Amino acid sequence: MGKGKYEESSSDEEVNSSSDVVEASSDEEVESSSDEVEALSDDVESSEDESSSDNEKVEESDSSEDEVAPRNTVGDIPLVEWHKDEEHIGYDIKGRKIKKQPRKDKLASFIEGADDPKNWRKIYDEYNDEEIELTKDEIKIIQRVISGRTPHAEVNPYEDYVDWFEYEDKGHPLSNAPEPKRRFIPSKWEQKRVANLVRKIRAGLIKVSDQNKEEEHNVYSLWTDDTDSVENKKRGGYVPAPKPKLPGHEEAYNPPVEYIPTAEEINSYELMYEEDRPKFIPRRYLNYRSVPAYDKGVKESFDRCLDQYLCPRTRKKRINIDPESLKPKLPSRKDLRPYPTTCYLEYRGHMGPVNCISVDPSGQWLASGSTDGTARVWEIETGRCLKIWEVGEVARQICWNPSPDRPILAVVLEYDVLLLNSGMGDIDIQTKMKELLHISEPGATEDAGDSKSAVTWIQHEKHDGIRMKHFKAVSSIEWHFKGDYFTTVVPSGDSKAILLHQLSKKHSETPFRKLGIPVTAVFHPSKKKFFVATKKFVHVYDLSKVEKIQKLETGVREISSISIHPGGENIIVGSKEGKMCWFDLELSTRPYKTLKVHSKDITRVTFHRTYPLFASASDDCTAYVFHSTVYSDLNQNPLIVPLEILRGHKPEHGRGVLDCKYHPRQPWLFTAGADSIIKLYCH
Amino acid sequence: MPPKHYRAPGKKKEGNAAKYITRTKATKYLQVSLNTFRKLCILKGIFPRVPKKKFEGNHKTYYSLKDITFLAHEPLLEKLRHKRAHEKKVKKAKARKNKELAERLLNRMPTYKLDRLILERYPTFVDALRDLDDCLTMVHLFASLPAVEGERIQVKRIHNCRRLSHEWQAFISRTHSLRKTFISVKGIYYQAEVQGQKITWLTPHALQQVLTDDVDFNIMLTFLEFYETLLGFVNFKLYNSINVKYPPILDPRLEALAAELYALFRYVATGSTRKPAENQSISSTEEKKDSDEKMDTCVNESDLQLAQLQHQLPSNEPGALMQLLEDSNNDDDDVDQDTIECKTLFKNLKFFLSREVPREALLFIIPAFGGVVSWEGEGTPFEETDEDIAYQIVDRPTQGHKFLSRHYVQPQWVFDCVNARIILPADAYMVGMVPPPHLSPFVDDEAEGYMPEYAETIKQLQATAKKNVMPLPDLDNQDLADPQNLIADGVMDRTQANEAAEERRKLQLLEKQYHDELKMEMSGITYSATLSNKKSENSGSEEMQHKDEVVVPVSTEKNDEDDRAKLYMSRKKRGLYEAIEISNQRKKDKVALLKERKRKASASKSG
Repeated sequence: MGKGKYEESSSDEEVNSSSDVVEASSDEEVESSSDEVEALSDDVESSEDESSSDNEKVEESDSSEDEVAPRNTVGDIPLVEWHKDEEHIGYDIKGRKIKKQPRKDKLASFIEGADDPKNWRKIYDEYNDEEIELTKDEIKIIQRVISGRTPHAEVNPYEDYVDWFEYEDKGHPLSNAPEPKRRFIPSKWEQKRVANLVRKIRAGLIKVSDQNKEEEHNVYSLWTDDTDSVENKKRGGYVPAPKPKLPGHEEAYNPPVEYIPTAEEINSYELMYEEDRPKFIPRRYLNYRSVPAYDKGVKESFDRCLDQYLCPRTRKKRINIDPESLKPKLPSRKDLRPYPTTCYLEYRGHMGPVNCISVDPSGQWLASGSTDGTARVWEIETGRCLKIWEVGEVARQICWNPSPDRPILAVVLEYDVLLLNSGMGDIDIQTKMKELLHISEPGATEDAGDSKSAVTWIQHEKHDGIRMKHFKAVSSIEWHFKGDYFTTVVPSGDSKAILLHQLSKKHSETPFRKLGIPVTAVFHPSKKKFFVATKKFVHVYDLSKVEKIQKLETGVREISSISIHPGGENIIVGSKEGKMCWFDLELSTRPYKTLKVHSKDITRVTFHRTYPLFASASDDCTAYVFHSTVYSDLNQNPLIVPLEILRGHKPEHGRGVLDCKYHPRQPWLFTAGADSIIKLYCH
Repeated sequence: MPPKHYRAPGKKKEGNAAKYITRTKATKYLQVSLNTFRKLCILKGIFPRVPKKKFEGNHKTYYSLKDITFLAHEPLLEKLRHKRAHEKKVKKAKARKNKELAERLLNRMPTYKLDRLILERYPTFVDALRDLDDCLTMVHLFASLPAVEGERIQVKRIHNCRRLSHEWQAFISRTHSLRKTFISVKGIYYQAEVQGQKITWLTPHALQQVLTDDVDFNIMLTFLEFYETLLGFVNFKLYNSINVKYPPILDPRLEALAAELYALFRYVATGSTRKPAENQSISSTEEKKDSDEKMDTCVNESDLQLAQLQHQLPSNEPGALMQLLEDSNNDDDDVDQDTIECKTLFKNLKFFLSREVPREALLFIIPAFGGVVSWEGEGTPFEETDEDIAYQIVDRPTQGHKFLSRHYVQPQWVFDCVNARIILPADAYMVGMVPPPHLSPFVDDEAEGYMPEYAETIKQLQATAKKNVMPLPDLDNQDLADPQNLIADGVMDRTQANEAAEERRKLQLLEKQYHDELKMEMSGITYSATLSNKKSENSGSEEMQHKDEVVVPVSTEKNDEDDRAKLYMSRKKRGLYEAIEISNQRKKDKVALLKERKRKASASKSG
């Protein structure tokens, strides 16, 4: 084993075959272990000495272990390959060939091995081509090496360390100074301190611990009588903790039967949300002895503690009022009579939803327009249908001329406005009407300013009236109170959205430019004022100067209709979200009162011309009647009282009441429904 | 946080940021750990606030800055710091294995007192009484916890809690100020009235309590620390008010028998234990001292003795003064009608508690209502064989041997009697029977809108009892020597009383009608509607159709009226109105559910 290694190192030397100092030093390392210092020095000097001398030395060194010297001197060469076909395996020290041993055949060697009890100790040395039998000592050494111990059993690697320096019993301390005096006298400062303590204990400043312990019941009268009066200064904002809830019947150990939930109810609690679930489920115990200990007692007490120091406290005003007291005190309805309450007449005949109605100024006739493409005139008192015009299109709005000597009906269709002669009145009026509704030369009234006219006035042949053709869809129409002028609104008409027409001259103009998308426009009932409602605002114009006076902020989402009080100073605005705003023009530009009346769109709001009434109609199939007294005294706010809810119309395609109008003289209300019926409500 | 007069640049002078401080900042400002801060807050009664604007974020806890500066000036803060420093010393000594020093230091641990804090939090005694609910509940809970070494709670403190709770109960019982009792699943609720304050507390059932792990006992013990001190001072004051020395010295024999409460009763009853003769006289006036049967016969004698003794005593002797004071006090006490009623409920009745009955509760309640109670065991006032026992409280399936002279009732009978303030017939509460439902005295049935059946029967019983018993107090005051006179007067009184009762009942009827009407008005039923309802009720089933005709239009009209008024309300008011309506509806639903269940239960019973 060791041999091989030596061979290796020596062969290295051979390969390099140079005599460097470095190499020599490496050599020295190797050799030092074999205690051949002298030989080594020789070696260094005679660096040219070859491996043979090396080998000799090795032989010498290993003589104690290996008796038989290695005979072969070929070195570390691949023996099997190079000497495979040779008869020798190498050369001995003298240069003679060493013959190969005759090969034993496998069977013979196996039999021999099986017979030989020492066979397990034999190993074959390929290098020398011989079999070596290991002695027992050698095997032991191998085993020790394998197990990581020293090869020789007699070597003790852990011998006790023997210090090179002896120091015991030598009789000389490090410091030879004598003990100081202070080691032998009591401390002065300690004495002072003790004296101090003694003095303090005697004076009673310090209590000995035994006395201290005897203080269990140190209670005394904490609240003397004068504390009641003197010390009553609690910290500001102190809120005492609310008292825990007192138990009800259900918490009894034996509650009445009705407080115990049934099994189904208990099961249904499982389906509830965690928060909604009742925390305590009543149970019934038939006698006191069977009541178990409450397992959540400590936990609940703890929770209460947590609440007390963790929960923020604020004083909450608990309202304990009678809900009725919240309701406003309204004047009795009896005092505000008359007002429409009950349905008196129904006007049937239309085939589709009635979009619009209008009552003629005399209060005798009612005109209506419907989606079935007809406009009708009814006699109010009898409900007889007097006249039918087949207009062929959906009648969006219909309007009587307010002047009694001009019984003209204005009907709004998609793009057209028809001015029809209703045929009412005596012959004088009729002849006048014929004149009025006659256009001599078609297309004569071209709009002067605009290259493309907004409106064309054409003679309508079929119904003997005038057809005003608009350039875009018309939404509403409104007559001036004198009956000569009227306005139409074309919402998508941009700068030509509001049109003013003069019937006598068959003339149209667009005085108002810069507007948003207008919804409706109305005339002031007595003054030269004009109101234009856009989606969110109502603009008030002075007609004589053509300039804006006021802008009313409704605060609603979308205005659907407006109506002017006959006095002219108050406006109501109905919106598509069901809200109604009352404006007092002299008070403010903001609503004086906003009423959330309907659950659906308001379709129409309207004032009564003589009675202090107004009404609103909505798609939720109701119409509300309100009382409104407007005082001449400016300091007094108008009085608005809801009076009556009129029901009766049936919903059709999500729409309810489409229009409502008051009778000009009587406190009657007409409503037009989507169920193609017109109703008259009387007092 | 800067000191008061210095304001750092950029610090707010006003507004929420100047008024409130977050908890983290507060602990930093006070330089204390969160635990110490918590302890301080608990002891000082400081709680978080809700600023209008949470300037540091929504998930923070805010305290009023004034509260925190108030804490900063608290001497207790310094004390707690000292304590902490001292604990460190102990720890150090222990770590160095210096046992002697550690022990010495432990003995000298700095302590603090809470009396000043109590006075600060409750400037007047009434304030303290007002806030006593939680205190009593907590002390009673801890009194019932197992007093075992090695548990999380010191045994000493549990014993202290027991003592305090017994002292409190003794006082309540002695002054007859207990008003209501209620056995719930959670425990027994008591309500007492002390100096006009209603104090309600809960005692757990006398069973082994469960100590759960999800509870931080440090917090509870801090609360308990405060409550113990508070209750100690309150008890002192109360005992003082009835001229009894505090802390009481108990009979060691009874204490050993775990009958502390009874021992306390005796102590309280006997006052300051100056002279036996005095004691007897006191107890005779109060019907508290029970063991002396001969007392009644020799009242005159003892009075004589008392007079002599008082004469003999020097005038500046405190005992004599106390005696006098007490007598006058007693007179004052009797002015309160409620107390008289409570005091005389079980008067001249003897109770005996069987073994299995939870003794402590009944031992507290029965004397509080003037009864005399005994139980099985040593040192009891009287034996089970006593012939005068009127009621024996039993809680077992069957009773073997029965004395014919007494009623055997279940414990619930006592509680129900107390709540009804009359002696209820014991038939329903006999042994082995299922007692009638136990009702909470804290519920106002009329406000709730539903009256359980048993409440109604109790009410009837009360009414009849009142009719019969009313003249009796007068009777008692009559001269006993003249029986004829007595009878005549008695008869007179009876008739008068009957008349009076009749009138009262009429008045009550009227009043009730008025109240009903008021209530109806509140709930939004108009007079006409009720009229029509009444009419419809009166007109029998034969006129069903007619009724319908009448009622329906009225109701729609009413609806209209409602809608009309609602239209005119502002949005805020409308919301409020609707919320009230919803809550009313919920209440109604609850009542309807109860009625439905009741109907089903009775149907199933009959069917």
